[in-house]
Amino acid sequence: MAATPPDSAGLDLVLAVRASAAASSGGAEHEPEVLAIFDQLRGPLLRYALAIGLRIPEAEDIVQEVFLALFRHTRLGRPRDNLRGWVFRVAHNLALKHREAARREVQRGAGSPEMPSSEPAHPGPGPEEQLAHSERHARLRAVLRALPEQDRQCLYLRAEGLRYREIAGVLGMSLGAVSLSLTRSLARMRRADGG
Amino acid sequence: MEIRDQHPSDEEMLAYADGELPSRRAATVRAHLGACWACRGRIAEIEGGIREFLEAYRTELDGRLPPAAGPRALLKAQLKALPKPGTFGMGPRLAAGLCAAALSIFGALLLSRPARLSGDAVAVPKASLTPGDTLPLTRTGVCQMPGNQLAELVPVSVRQTVLRRYGIENARPDAYEIDYLITPGLGGSGDVRNLWPEPYTNTVWNAHVKDALENRLHDLVCGGTLDLGTAQRELATDWISAYKKYFHTTTPIAR
Repeated sequence: MAATPPDSAGLDLVLAVRASAAASSGGAEHEPEVLAIFDQLRGPLLRYALAIGLRIPEAEDIVQEVFLALFRHTRLGRPRDNLRGWVFRVAHNLALKHREAARREVQRGAGSPEMPSSEPAHPGPGPEEQLAHSERHARLRAVLRALPEQDRQCLYLRAEGLRYREIAGVLGMSLGAVSLSLTRSLARMRRADGG
Repeated sequence: MEIRDQHPSDEEMLAYADGELPSRRAATVRAHLGACWACRGRIAEIEGGIREFLEAYRTELDGRLPPAAGPRALLKAQLKALPKPGTFGMGPRLAAGLCAAALSIFGALLLSRPARLSGDAVAVPKASLTPGDTLPLTRTGVCQMPGNQLAELVPVSVRQTVLRRYGIENARPDAYEIDYLITPGLGGSGDVRNLWPEPYTNTVWNAHVKDALENRLHDLVCGGTLDLGTAQRELATDWISAYKKYFHTTTPIAR
């Protein structure tokens, strides 16, 4: 597993619940703001969740959770200088937690009749699994699959428009590590393309 | 003091192209690029790689994104249903919401594989997917609700979400009713956690039977002989047992 703090999103949620007990303002005024951010970021978040291996229903659930958490976050008057980074961080952590739970569930037992045991927990429907539109895409797919997970996540987040600082915040890396990771991944793709 | 002869590293070029270099260093790189064909070629290669990756990424994923309208409506409803901070009874309800959220994530996980449910298997909803969800209404609010609010139609997009959560693909429109576990008439919300696909056919314990129970419970609550929370719990926990209890029978009464 990547060295990311898997529980910080959950912690945020819990903190939000505790703190909201003390807050006095209503919150209705935050709804349009949250919906506007939803309109802007639902697609990017969903793509990211799918790219890192979640299925659509799970990804949609996580996105809902993220925006409920965002609503609580803004209602509490918490820092809002980089809501995009915040939203991606919460989504990333929820996604990892979810994947981990899925893995444990599958390990715990093929007991459930609804789960054909032959099927792996997440047959990785990320771009790396399904890009075989063309030979070039197939090559790209192979390179992506061979990348360390954190390097892939960096690429996906950058593809969604996140700045290096935001990526560093989401993945718990240093700025320099983000920059190196992107450089390394792009170089590998270039080499595969040329060769 | 220009450093024309020092070619920037790949990392610097990318950071430059991404607008991530400190301004002074960026100016140096810009000056170098102006003077160096080789580095302009390299930066074009880097941009080409980015373009190719991005195209593959977007092509692959954009086609899989479901329309936003349903999820947006769901979020809106959930935001509306969130209790205001500081109001009475908020803590437990939020906590319950979180539990429901956790359950729903877990439930969706169970469903990420096609669940081959027979019709009767969903006569009772799965607690992990449909634990029940309520709006913060009081007994008075519930009992004063106009009748036309009692039979809210479930939007098509939400219907699809519910079916998908239950792993039901390509259902005939007339095969399932998307039913509220806790009826809106007793304060149930429109959240997917309060909805499940109830088969119209092949089950004794069908939607009409449940309607009868809901009417009975509504009468009891508004008549003052049953607590609203209890009624909601009865529906959410095991509505069939509740029917047997409130109608004093082991089989549905013919109507």
